[in-house]
Amino acid sequence: MTLTTPLAGPPNMRATLRRNFWRGVARVMRRKPSRMAGVAIVCLFLLMAAVGPMLYPAHLPRDDNALYAAPSLAHPFGTDFEGTDVLALVVTGARYVILTGLATAVITVALGTALGLLAGFHRGRWDTALMRLTDLQLTIPGLPLLLVLSTVWKFNSPLEMGLVLGLLGWGGVARAVRSQTLSLRERGFIEAAKGLGLSTRHIIARELLPSMAPYIAMNVLIAVTGAIYAQVGLFFLGVLPFDSNNWGVMLNLAVFGGGALTSTAALPYLLAPLLAILLLTLGIVLIVDAMDEIFNPRLREE
Amino acid sequence: MVLAIGTLEHFMKRLAATAALAAVATATAACGTSETAASAGPGGVYTTIDGSKQIDATAPINPFNPQGSTFAGYDAMALAWPKNDLMDPNLFYPGLARSWTATPDQGEVVVHLQPNARWSDGRPVTSADIRTSIGLAYTQGGSAYTVNAGAAGAAADIKVVDAKTVKIVQGKNRSNAFLRNVLSTVVVPDHVFGPLLPAGFWATLTAARGTGPAAEKAKTEITGLSQKVITFSPPEDVSAGPFVLERVNPGAALLRKNAYFYDAARIVPGKVKVLNYTGNEQIWNYLVSGKLDSAPFTAVPAAVMKKIKQTPGNAIRKGYSPVAASMAFNQARKPYDNVHVRRALAYLIDRAQVTKIASPEAGTPSVTTTGIHGSSAQAWLGAGLGALDQYKVDPAKADQELRAAGMVKKGGQWAMPDGSPWKVQIHVPASFSDWVAAAKSVTSQLNDHGIDSSVVTSADYILYLDELAGGKFDIGFWLMALGPSPYNIFQRVYGPANGWSLLAGRLNHAAPGKDGNWMGGPETVGGVNPGELTNRLNLATPEEQKRIVGTLAKLTNEQLPVIQIYDYVNTQFVNTTRYTGWPAAGSEALRLPAGVWMQLGMIKKSGV
Repeated sequence: MTLTTPLAGPPNMRATLRRNFWRGVARVMRRKPSRMAGVAIVCLFLLMAAVGPMLYPAHLPRDDNALYAAPSLAHPFGTDFEGTDVLALVVTGARYVILTGLATAVITVALGTALGLLAGFHRGRWDTALMRLTDLQLTIPGLPLLLVLSTVWKFNSPLEMGLVLGLLGWGGVARAVRSQTLSLRERGFIEAAKGLGLSTRHIIARELLPSMAPYIAMNVLIAVTGAIYAQVGLFFLGVLPFDSNNWGVMLNLAVFGGGALTSTAALPYLLAPLLAILLLTLGIVLIVDAMDEIFNPRLREE
Repeated sequence: MVLAIGTLEHFMKRLAATAALAAVATATAACGTSETAASAGPGGVYTTIDGSKQIDATAPINPFNPQGSTFAGYDAMALAWPKNDLMDPNLFYPGLARSWTATPDQGEVVVHLQPNARWSDGRPVTSADIRTSIGLAYTQGGSAYTVNAGAAGAAADIKVVDAKTVKIVQGKNRSNAFLRNVLSTVVVPDHVFGPLLPAGFWATLTAARGTGPAAEKAKTEITGLSQKVITFSPPEDVSAGPFVLERVNPGAALLRKNAYFYDAARIVPGKVKVLNYTGNEQIWNYLVSGKLDSAPFTAVPAAVMKKIKQTPGNAIRKGYSPVAASMAFNQARKPYDNVHVRRALAYLIDRAQVTKIASPEAGTPSVTTTGIHGSSAQAWLGAGLGALDQYKVDPAKADQELRAAGMVKKGGQWAMPDGSPWKVQIHVPASFSDWVAAAKSVTSQLNDHGIDSSVVTSADYILYLDELAGGKFDIGFWLMALGPSPYNIFQRVYGPANGWSLLAGRLNHAAPGKDGNWMGGPETVGGVNPGELTNRLNLATPEEQKRIVGTLAKLTNEQLPVIQIYDYVNTQFVNTTRYTGWPAAGSEALRLPAGVWMQLGMIKKSGV
């Protein structure tokens, strides 16, 4: 992790810095076309989440005579057990997955960063209390807890799902942010800020936080992928409510209902959501790669 | 009933496909017993799976333990094995009982043991073993052996007539399921399991049948033995069956032929290997690879079935399976209290399409809703079946019924009579993949007709039943038609789930929402009390049973407390490469374990 220069100074200077930053971003993206592909993939999925359900009727059409139909022009990924187009299911199912991922990422990073910054900056009793809380959170076994929770909570909304996954995932971020803070608070610019008598709030929000922005941004993206795997896994295990266009439910029905691992008939039904998850993860990984270079001057120089 | 429903749950567990660790178990199943073929002799090794449970290598060799390392028909023996008859629950193949007699009211059952029956350690099987087995069954409760005062069909006395004859007397609240329950008794050796029964057990049992504080204390003493019996772990298997357990590992159990079995000459295989599985997919893979000589019912998707059939030697045997899948209503909730709404839904559901989607290989669309499996409905109802409403898909009739119920249509969507939205939620356990697919198909059809419908799943079957019994659902999938006993058939619709239960020999009706009454149907319909009629089936003569069944089927068809969707077909798998002589399609022996087929002398070596 390296530091960026704290954003301070007159407005025109900040505007110049911002312009330079975006120019740097464009340069980094151009250097490897795969990074542009990553942005395109993620944009595609965001678009699917935003407008995908609007492209199809509320109840997807079915073909009673084409159950588990093979891929064709009309059905690029075949059809499901009910004769519904698998591509339509993947597209309309993207919203739940993406929203859950984003909600999880926001909660994970917001909680982890806030607690990590507070603990690292204040040290002493704050640190002890918050880190014991973090330790406690880290010891909670996520999957068994989710299995138990699913018996009383139906997780109908992606935000509910994201909230639970987020509350189960902030511990790692908090620990890492605390370590960063402990290191940064000994640096000269923080000492200077303290010497100038700036408020704690100012130091944390305007001095420490921007220095950690790249790390936090990358964690947001990594948390999104983690949330996608977690929720799809839970739906795959069948512990969360049925929704025919949920990617995890599709995987479950393809394997256990369609026998996709034993025969080829339901294979496209299995592969379509898998491919979607793989593409989305790939897109995020490529963007993280770009971000690493954008925020890491040493890499930029190479 | 306990046995029937217990078996059913195992059956449904195998319908359920919940395994995530299949590959690991496959790997373990594949190893460990490769030397067995050579040591099995000319009879070879017969490979199969146990349809009732998965293998737990740490479980005791004890048939009272639900996970016990004993296998019905192989090393766990019952007095007799029930035939898969459409109507008569009292037909059996002999097991350890060579023959039996029962008085017409089944007040007394006399069992004559196989004269040559011996345990695998050479000791004879005697009446003392039966008595001890019955005593141990009392500690587990249920069926014929319950200490609940006044319970119908409970044994009141067990008399040892001679070394090979036992008389079991039924208590005063008679049930015509008594013979079936007695003959289903699993027999264990007295010299191994006998010490589990404390001195004075039989006196305590007599005291427990009474009433008052002393009886309650005695009951507590007996049921308090339950855990001790379940956890008892004999050092080795002592079997009176055709096989005896040699060893068990997490992947498979290996049984060798019991030389002391009373009909040992009929048993061809030298060894039996029971493979473990963690989900249906593993069984499919075993079948596709031709590993299994036979496998009991397993739900199989059409494409997988095609692949299984392509394996050399594999063949399918289909037969009667007394189970049907239905959609049951909570009539305490609006608008399902209105028969017109229930009928409207019945007219909108294309049962053939649902079956094609959900259970193409192991189900047939129900002809109509009678409460009875389609195969036996004809036998029970005769021409009466044709007179019932078939509820063929008819949207116009559905509209009429909905209007008759006061429902209103706004903007193409049906709504409640007061104009509020009508949202149909159909509940199913997530692990039953065929029910999930069926429920989805039903909701799609209802949505097509402007009824806002969705599927809601519960994480597992136990939780599902708990939520169902708690009255949390409007509509839930429900197993029904559990023949062949007509009482068992109709108690699924007019039994405890609908408010009727037997307490101390008296039939009580609980109010909707209380004591597990989640169906919430009316106590009487047009002067007919269906719960009372169902209870009468326990005692009625065959002629009276037929009359009652006719009345209940008609009532069920008219009132639709459930909509019968599809009737299961028992689809079994055999492979003729190594063995032959399988029961024919529709055979009365088809649902029994292959160990029983061997006892009956059916299984022969291929090419011999």
